[in-house]
Parts: sequence; structure tokens; C-alpha cells
Amino acid sequence: MARTLVTGNHAAGAALALAGEANRDARGCCAGAYPITPQTEIIEYLRAFNFTKGHIVPVESEHSAMGVCIGAALAGARSFTASSSNGLAYMNENVFAAGYYRLPIVMIAVNRTLGPPWNIWVDQGDSLSLRDAAWTQFYCESHQDLVDTILVAFRMSEDHRVLLPALVAEDGFILSHTQMAVDIPAQDLVEKYLPKLNLPHQLDFEHAATVGGLTWPRETEKHRREIQSAMENVPAVLNEALDEFAAVFGRRPDGAFTAEYTEDAETVLVACNTMARTLRRVVKDRRERGEKVGMVKVKLFRPFLRDAFIHAIGSAKRVGVLDRNHSPGSGGIFWGEIATTLRQRPDVLLQDYLVGLGGGDVTPQIIEEILDDLKQRKQAEEPVWKEVAA
Amino acid sequence: MIELTIYGRGGRGGVTLAKLIATTYFLRGKHVQAFGVYGAERSGAPIQAYMRADDEEITNHNQIQEPDHVIVVEQTLLGPHVLSGLKPDGWIIINTHEAPESFAESLPGRRVATVDANAIAVAHGLGTKTVPIVNTALLGAAGKLLELEFADVEAALAEMKFGGANVTVAREAYDAVVGQRLAGKAQPSKQRAANGPVVGILDEEVGGMPVIRTGTWASRRPSRHELMPACNDGCPAGNDVRGFVQAVAQRKDYDAALAIILKTSPFPGICGRVCPAPCMEACNRRAHDEPVNVRDIERYISDHAVWPQPTRPTRNERVAVVGSGPAGLSATYHLARLGYHVTLLEAGDEIGGVMRTGIPSYRLPRHVLDHEISFILRHGVEAKTRQHVDRAALLKLTNEYAAVFVATGLQELRSLNLGNLAADMVMQGIDFLDQARRGHVHLTGQRVVVLGGGNTAMDAARTALRVGARNVRVVYRRTRAEMPAIAEEIDEALEERIQLDELVAPLRLHNNATGTVLTCQRMKLGEPDESGRRRPVPLESEDAIFEIECDKVLLALGQSGDLSILPEGSDVRHGEQLLGLTAAPVFAGGDFATNAGTVTAAIGSGRRAALHIHKTLTDEDLFPPPPAPVAGPEAIRMHVFSHQPREKPAIIPAEVRRGSFTEVRLGLIDEPGHEAAYEEALRCFSCGVCNECDRCLTYCPEGVMLHDGDCRYSFNFDYCKGCGICASQCPRGVVFMQEL
Repeated sequence: MARTLVTGNHAAGAALALAGEANRDARGCCAGAYPITPQTEIIEYLRAFNFTKGHIVPVESEHSAMGVCIGAALAGARSFTASSSNGLAYMNENVFAAGYYRLPIVMIAVNRTLGPPWNIWVDQGDSLSLRDAAWTQFYCESHQDLVDTILVAFRMSEDHRVLLPALVAEDGFILSHTQMAVDIPAQDLVEKYLPKLNLPHQLDFEHAATVGGLTWPRETEKHRREIQSAMENVPAVLNEALDEFAAVFGRRPDGAFTAEYTEDAETVLVACNTMARTLRRVVKDRRERGEKVGMVKVKLFRPFLRDAFIHAIGSAKRVGVLDRNHSPGSGGIFWGEIATTLRQRPDVLLQDYLVGLGGGDVTPQIIEEILDDLKQRKQAEEPVWKEVAA
Repeated sequence: MIELTIYGRGGRGGVTLAKLIATTYFLRGKHVQAFGVYGAERSGAPIQAYMRADDEEITNHNQIQEPDHVIVVEQTLLGPHVLSGLKPDGWIIINTHEAPESFAESLPGRRVATVDANAIAVAHGLGTKTVPIVNTALLGAAGKLLELEFADVEAALAEMKFGGANVTVAREAYDAVVGQRLAGKAQPSKQRAANGPVVGILDEEVGGMPVIRTGTWASRRPSRHELMPACNDGCPAGNDVRGFVQAVAQRKDYDAALAIILKTSPFPGICGRVCPAPCMEACNRRAHDEPVNVRDIERYISDHAVWPQPTRPTRNERVAVVGSGPAGLSATYHLARLGYHVTLLEAGDEIGGVMRTGIPSYRLPRHVLDHEISFILRHGVEAKTRQHVDRAALLKLTNEYAAVFVATGLQELRSLNLGNLAADMVMQGIDFLDQARRGHVHLTGQRVVVLGGGNTAMDAARTALRVGARNVRVVYRRTRAEMPAIAEEIDEALEERIQLDELVAPLRLHNNATGTVLTCQRMKLGEPDESGRRRPVPLESEDAIFEIECDKVLLALGQSGDLSILPEGSDVRHGEQLLGLTAAPVFAGGDFATNAGTVTAAIGSGRRAALHIHKTLTDEDLFPPPPAPVAGPEAIRMHVFSHQPREKPAIIPAEVRRGSFTEVRLGLIDEPGHEAAYEEALRCFSCGVCNECDRCLTYCPEGVMLHDGDCRYSFNFDYCKGCGICASQCPRGVVFMQEL
């Protein structure tokens, strides 16, 4: 394994290329590519890579980028792409199509605030706007997490029990443009981990078919139930994928939720991406001062594994959600999921904190203030807007 | 943990510097983090870059608030915000040529280190003087202050594959950086200044982007200059062609256009009819669709504008001009306008030279010629005809006048021996034209052969037709491509059913049973001769010799000057004074000196002679300054202009015109609601000279250009980022970018 100092985007590009190259003895790989800040370096890496059997196709828009992935995936190629922010919004229709076509496409979402007004910094609103598109969604906290999750995502998505595309998110700039150390796996090990893609409904000249034609309501109902079943298979498939990863690469990536310091925590904060790392530091410091605080890092957002989340918070009575996103007319999107989940736990005081919207720089200090607020709170209120001076 | 903040500019290596420093720690087994914070995604905009290194895994991802040290990549970035959060013992490493002591007032009590990374980088070819690449040098400087071994610096450079000069500059900076703690009390570190009130979309005062003097982001600046239009460059008379065309295009001001022409040429009506138009040959529009029809615009101006009043002499000196062709008349005109008394001496019995005797009236109507000559003479000029000036007379003139200009043209006519019959049947074309215009020669029913390929040959052929010839053949020993005549003249002659025999050389005239014949030899083109044209060589075949029945042969084989007028031992050099041989200065010009062969070249020659004479007599130099570079097609953004064919001038059909001397070309004809010359002038690109189209200003994305006067534009360099759009959008090469 090569330990190297690279940006998050470079690491993501490398992982995608390794996965794509691993399919060279089957139908190869393909990406539809369109650049957008802060994702561009991924596309540049892929275009520069010398695939044995694969095409990185530059197109005129993100909508077409996903279109290319859909066509290539239906032809049996391992397909992937990347986008952010308004690029993800632009490909919206085709993102849903990829999910509904049950294609194991992997897309890196480099989280960036949706505009207008124009904003280049990190916010999870863009990937979360695709919450209902029948994709699994992973949120990564570090370069290593990103590389490992990408490989896990291919394995899980291509499993016949799942066959759903996977969105893998990383923070724009904070990971994408930040240089940190990471192990990039070797090609032969990736090939040990990822079998060749075998798409059951791969298009085939011998047996002509049309994909996605008109269906009646009852077929649609069945289609949606199939997708839900696939989502319900994710925990088991993901677990296997993580176990197999550990066997091949010698480390086990994080699962859907990572509970830390929660054994006897009274107060738990929930976060994803790099904010979870800053949170971890605060929790560690507070623990050293004797406070019973803990944290849950969310990695898998779709499917949202309710039972696993209930298990993760343990016996905590106060749960605060750090949402770097906002659904107007309601509140943070993670909070909404967790609120539904915690209907089994009416004893928990659940409070949403909207923090770092539009890319505000979330410091340990801000998280300390949130923690203090949560600890002394008498009752839950509507989402708290925690402004970040930036 | 060690934390560094770097203040740099986008696109100039600040973030890479953070990565390089991080790499030095990474290679020594530390956990590291390096990233930039981008605002305006734009080269030159201020950015910060951050570097963290620690023995433990780094989980903090926010921006650095309390750096251990800061690096200022460019001195212009210094400001109080640089101190924000900086620990008391922290280094401020500045890329500057100044010494640390220079910052005693602005950074008292601080540890300041300086290195001239700009000079080091540029000396080793890294970047340019405007944008030097200083990060690898600053890596060396930082390494020294962070107490790294140079080997660590080298290892980082190798890891990131920065070789060559990068290692050299890192070493130089590592050795050269100096630092000290400055005297005085350190100012408490201020937090970063707030950005001002936060405004919402529905607020009354919506506000906008913070006011940032983005002029500091620029590495180049726009500027404006004038280039020489290609048409002006091509005009032998030195006319401001672009100027008079634009006077029509911009303001339909024909009087102003005429005034522009009259500054350099007194013959717009003549040139507008007979000039071969090298300006149109040079016209950049040719590369886009068709050249601007300058000739017919000039003619239109001459025909429609109001002519100004002639000036009167104001000086005492008297100048003599010998020869009243276009060079002599041009010199007369310019000398008269400079205030001199001019005496114009013409050997023939009419003023005008070859314009009158050699150019037929179907090309140049007499009234146009007379009008323009009259305009010149009314400048207080004394004109004398039947004054033949020989050498003795010339020397006498030099005693009577302050200066003399000799422009007697080409009196010697080249001839050819065609045998004994020549005397009756053969005539010089030039003489024929003069006779024909006086009505003294008719060729009714005759079969005419014209020998030659220049304008005189065409004129003689077409005139022969008009004085009754049964048929006319032009015999030329090379091909049409080599004929020096103006292309349109050849076209019109062929339309008039004049036959052109290419690659034929005449041998001799003789009588046979039926009448007189001209025996001819067919030719082919061989190797080039001294003029560069391929030499005609006789064909060897049996049918190479053939006969043409003819009654008249007109010779148009070329002319040369009669130099006997000049004092013995003198040499004709165009425009130069014949020194030391005469009492008063004598200048020579026109075809007599240059054999250039066009009215327009003669006009230029005459004008230069006038300026030479003026300079010699008064020491005043009125010659135009050296021209700016020429705006060729590469200076013009052709894609900006739509395609528009030229206005078609009117012409009398061949069958009608071949029988009379009425003017063949009628120029641009107006129609109701359609001013033809104006429409044609609109096709002019105004190459190299601003015509206030305002395209630069319209496309400026920052709105930093002002149009604040006649052809005056200014730039607000406080905000101009040097994007270069104004320069790329200027269709005519006026706006350009300069490195700062």
C-alpha cells in the first residue's frame, strides 16, 4: 500500500480509476464527465488515467454526464462520475433514472452549497437534495474513509441483492482540496476485492428489450417495493462488504453509524463528514474533563438504518444534530430522519442545530457552545440557527 | 502541533507552498494537513493557505485562527490582518527586497524575516518579472526559520517532483533569509475585520459584493495605441485613406472627407477614376469578403463635396516646376499651399502631361481633369505652356528661382524594328493617343494591332476601337498574368471585344497577296529575367510562326526618361537634391526619377519634393513622422463583422460604350434611401484607429472603462483586473495588454 500525501479529489479519482481498471477483463468502465468547482480535479485525474478498457467521455452538461453513465452501465460497464452543487441539481432527472433503472453507478458528490446566490463552500444540501432518488448515500470524513468507501460502494452496489447506485460524499475544499496522507490500495488487491461487474439486466443484442417503458400503477408499485427491498438488504450486504474489505486490505472501514464515547453518555451530538472529526476532538476534550458526552458519526444516510441508530445513541437522553443543510419549511434533513427514528424513544430531547450553512468555518469553539446549549436545555425547540462568523 | 498561515495570491503558488511545507513534515513521519481558502476564484485574488503538522492525527478541519508563524508571499499583501492570532514568538516571513528593520514601524516587537524571493526566482527563470514563482524559494526560507535541515527541503521538492531551478532557489533563499526581533512593543493581534452588515435579498439597501480594490490582482493592464491602417500604408501619395472613408462612414461629411484628401492629394476625381488602388489591394477586408471600394468612394467625394477656396502665396520665394504632369502639378499644389510663388513650365501646349495626352477621356473626362488642374492653378500659380526646358534653360532657372523641381516624365519611347513598312503603318501608342484626343486621327475600318501589355496598350487599343477600327488585337509576348495593365482595364477591353493574343511576339511587317501582314512568333515562358518575370522563349514547333492581317500597328512597349536636361555628371535620385552643381537646389521626381508609372505615385513624389524644397529653404521639416506599425489582417477580429458584398459601381455596357468616348464607369449611384458611398464606407474596418464603436467598453465585465471624450477612453485601474477582454474585443487592434 502506498502512503502518499494527496488531496481528497486526487484520492477519489485514484479509487475510481482502480475500480474501473479492475473491470478491464469484463465490459471495462466508463464515465460521463463534466467539471465543476470543487470536483474538477477528479475529472482531470480520470481523463489523464490510461484505462486499459474504458472511456471518460467529456460532455456538455451534468445531465448528459449521468446520461452517459446510464447508457454505459446498461451495457455492463462499471460506471462512475462526480459532481457538486448546481451540477448535481442539473443532473437531477438522470440521477433518479439511474436509481430507478437499478444501475450500480457510483457518484462522488463533492459537497458544495447550492446556489444562487453563488457560493463555492461546503454544505450538504446538494447531495441531500437527491435523497429520494433511490441511491444509497455515504458521507465520508477523511481521505482514507473516502477511498475505502468508494471501493465498498462498488462492491455493495453491484451485489445482486442491492443493484442500486451509490452516492459517496466528501466535503468540498475541506477534503477535496486539502492535502492529507492516505493509503491508496494496490491494483491487484482491488481486483481481489471487486469481482467483475455482472449486470443481470445488461442490454444484449441477442435478446432485444426496451428499458423503462410505460408501466401501469401496479407495476410501479411493485418497482418501488423492489427498490425498498433492495434498500432493506443493504445492512447485510454492507456488513459483508466491510468484512471482506478487512480481509483483503487489513482494515475495516466504518459502518453506517459510528458511536464514540456513548457507553454512558447522557448527551450525544450527531454529525457527518469533517464536522464529525472536529466534533470528535471536542468530545474527547470534554471526556477528559469528566463530562459524559458522546457522539454518533453518520456515514450511511440512505438507507437510514433506524434500529442501528437507536442502538448507537445508547441510553443518552439528549441528542443534538449538527445539520450543515436545511430544508426550508422544516429544518435540518438529518434531524428529520432522526426525529422519525426516535419516535421509539419519546424520552429523548432531540434538538436540531443548523451550523455551517453555506460553508461557514465550524471551529471547536462553536461545537462547545452547541454542546453547552444542549446540556442545559429544558425542552426541544424548533431548529436553532447557530451562526458561524466567517 | 505547528500551524502556519500563508498569505498569497490565487494562481501564484501559495497553496503549493503550504503543500511543500507539509511534505517536509510528512516525510519525517508527522501527520499533516495543507489546504487553501479560496474566495474569488481568480488569478491574482488574495488567498490564504494553511499548514498543520502534528505527531498525532489531526482532526481539526477549520481554518487556522492562531498560527505559529505566517508567510507573506507578496509584500503588497501585508496589512494588520496578517497579525491576526499570530503567537507572540511567531515569525512573519516576508518576500521583499527590504531588510527586516524596514518594518520597525508597522510590525514593532515582532520577529520579522525577509528574503528577496522575487529576485532569486526571476534570476533562475522561474516565472516572469510580473508574476515570479516564488514558492520554492520561500520553502527554503521557511525551512531555515523552522529549523529544518536543507535535506528536508530538498526531499519535499523531490517528493512533489519540483527539480531543476527550484532546488537552486530554495538553497539560495535558505541561505539568504535574515530575521530578527524588531524593537518596540508588539501590537495586540487584532481579529480579522468584520465584513460589514449582512444584507438580505428583500432589504431596501440590498448592498453588493464588498468593495475590493481588485486592481491589485492584476498582472497586466490595458492600453491603447494607433496602428497604421494598411490602406494608408499602401497609398503612394500618402493619403489618409482610412480618414476620408471614415469621415463618410461616421458622419456622412463629404466636405470633411475632401479636406482630408486635399491635405495630401489635389486629384481625388482623377485618382478616383484611374488609380490602380493599391489601398484596395492592401485592404484587410479582402481577407473577410471584398475590399472596400475606396476608389469609387474617393470619386464620389470629389464629385459631391464642396471644394474649398484656394489659398494665395504668402512668401517671397519663387519656385520653378518643369513639367505639368501629375508630379509637377502635385509639387506645384503643395508648394503653393506652403505659400510659395510657383511658376509651372510645360513644353506642350496644354497643362496636364500624360493625364491629358495619354489617358483617354472615356477613362478620365476632360471636365474632371480641367476642374482639378484649375483648382491648383488658382493658388496664385503662374503657368506657361510651350516652354521647352533643356539643360541650358534649367541652369538659367537655377539662377532665377529659389529652387527648381524637374518632373518631365518619360519622353523616350521604346521602339521595335518591324521592317521597311514600319514608317507608314507603325505609330507610337502615346502619340496616337494624343492625336486621337485632338480628333486628328481616324482608323475607320482598319485592322489594328497593339503591341504591349501595360495601361498605354489598353488605352491605345480601346481608343483605336473608338476612332473606327474594324477590329483590334493586343499582342503580348507573355501571358495575361504578367501584363502590368490594371486588371479592370484588361477586363473592360476584352468586354469591348478586343482580342488578346498571349505569348505572341511580333517579327516584321510585310506585304503579301491580300495585303499587309504582321508575322508573329508564338512564345512560351522560360526562366525568370532580371525583372523577376519569366522570360518569353520562342516555340520551336512548325505552327509557331503565323500571320496577322493588319493595317496599323501601335507600339506601347514602355518609356524612359530623357536625362539630357540634367547638368552633366549629375545622377537622378528620387527626391534628392542634385548637390553642388547648380546655383539653387534642384530636385527631380515623378516618372522622370522613378518610372513608377501611376498618377498616385507621382502625386506622392511631387509632395515629397515640395517638402524637401521647403526644408531646404527654411529648415522647417514638415515630413510626416515615422509611421506606427501597420495593422495587417492579424490585427483585425474579422468574426465581429458580418459579411456584406461591396456596392457595385455603375458601368456602361460594352456594346454601347465601345463606340464613343463617353465615360465608361459611372461610379457609385445613389438611390432613394440608399446613399451608395456611405453604405460602402460603412464596410471599412477602420484598421488600427479607434472609431468609437465602444465594443471594448461594452464588453468590460467590471465596468471600469469610460468613454470620456472624442476617441478618448480611460480605465479605472483601481478595479481593472487585467482580464484582457477589452483587448480581445477591440475589432481593430487599438486596445492591447501590457505586462505590469
